[in-house]
Amino acid sequence: MGRVEAEDLLQDMFLTAHRKLGLYRGESALGTWLFRLGTNLCLDHLRSRSGRFSALQDGLDDDLPASTSSGPVLGVIDRLDLERALTTLPAGARTVFVLHDVEGLEHREVAELLGVSEGTSKSQLHKARFRLRSALNPTATKAAR
Amino acid sequence: MTKCEDVQTRLSDFADGLLAPDEHAVLLRHVRECADCSGVLSDLERLRSTARHLGTVPPPEHLWLEIAGQIRQSQRSGLASPSRPSPQRRAAWQWIGLSAALLAITTAVYFFGRSPAQPIATANTAAPGGSMQVVADELSLAMQHYDRAIAELELAAGADKSEMDPAVSATLQRSLGSIDSAISESRAALLSNPDSGPARDSLFEALRRKVSVLQATVSLINEMRQGDPAGATRAMEGLGRQS
Repeated sequence: MGRVEAEDLLQDMFLTAHRKLGLYRGESALGTWLFRLGTNLCLDHLRSRSGRFSALQDGLDDDLPASTSSGPVLGVIDRLDLERALTTLPAGARTVFVLHDVEGLEHREVAELLGVSEGTSKSQLHKARFRLRSALNPTATKAAR
Repeated sequence: MTKCEDVQTRLSDFADGLLAPDEHAVLLRHVRECADCSGVLSDLERLRSTARHLGTVPPPEHLWLEIAGQIRQSQRSGLASPSRPSPQRRAAWQWIGLSAALLAITTAVYFFGRSPAQPIATANTAAPGGSMQVVADELSLAMQHYDRAIAELELAAGADKSEMDPAVSATLQRSLGSIDSAISESRAALLSNPDSGPARDSLFEALRRKVSVLQATVSLINEMRQGDPAGATRAMEGLGRQS
């Protein structure tokens, strides 16, 4: 999703929040309520784009990757490198990684947002982390072959 | 003996503290004795730590002004959604909308017109069949639209700059001056090397910044017209960040 698209969705989110503020019952923190509203808006937007959301759903049921090479292979991770590596992940794994590791949601919350089981959320996170580990140091996987 | 392959499938949950106590204890024992699995765990923890600090991408300041403006409109009209803006402001909002559309078009053509696996084609590796020419034509058209949109925004902003505090106006002129210099330099670089990706990136970034500053200026003028000093202050702070 490009920056402009993200900015448009941000505007839509706050305008929707303003309209729906009367529905906020205080069962969760206001920030959590806004976050859910924004996430649902983004997911609806992705669903409306042909082929994109199906890829998100398909990625969530993929097999776990085989174990990669052992031993520590990552030094200090540059943030830009991690952001670039994120773009190489399948949509499902990337979504779970961002929601869990970047945004700090628990697996229960990720599963509820994405409409999948907690087990799927955990397996996709595992997949994402190992793929990122490989992407950030490809020489490690080459040495293991 | 616990196999490393089995252990590593559980290391993610282990790192997150999600395992049951007995399973956690088994993995902990293995990790303490196995340098390989200990190394993998260290990598996963490093990834988690870096991801936690990726943080959020802050939106540009003018976005809050636009949201506030639309909410204020809806409150004044008493409607659930923002009402149609007045004729004087409609032109400014049309150009803001056009600018946003231009950004989307430019981004789509330039950044997403090629797959991530394909590098930007150079003069020596341009794809056959004129596809790069099509992209170049689209980018040229996008730049022309940018120039027209910027000219209109400047008209909308310039007509009412007399209402602006002289110090703010001077800051605005300095900001636009430095951005215009960046635009000129990038255009000159692209003229001498049309296939330069960094020059193209630099040009579109400078054009985007100019549109953002002009948008914030129009928003500031609107805030001042409505007699909203707090809103005008926020707009001025936003202009400072955009520059």
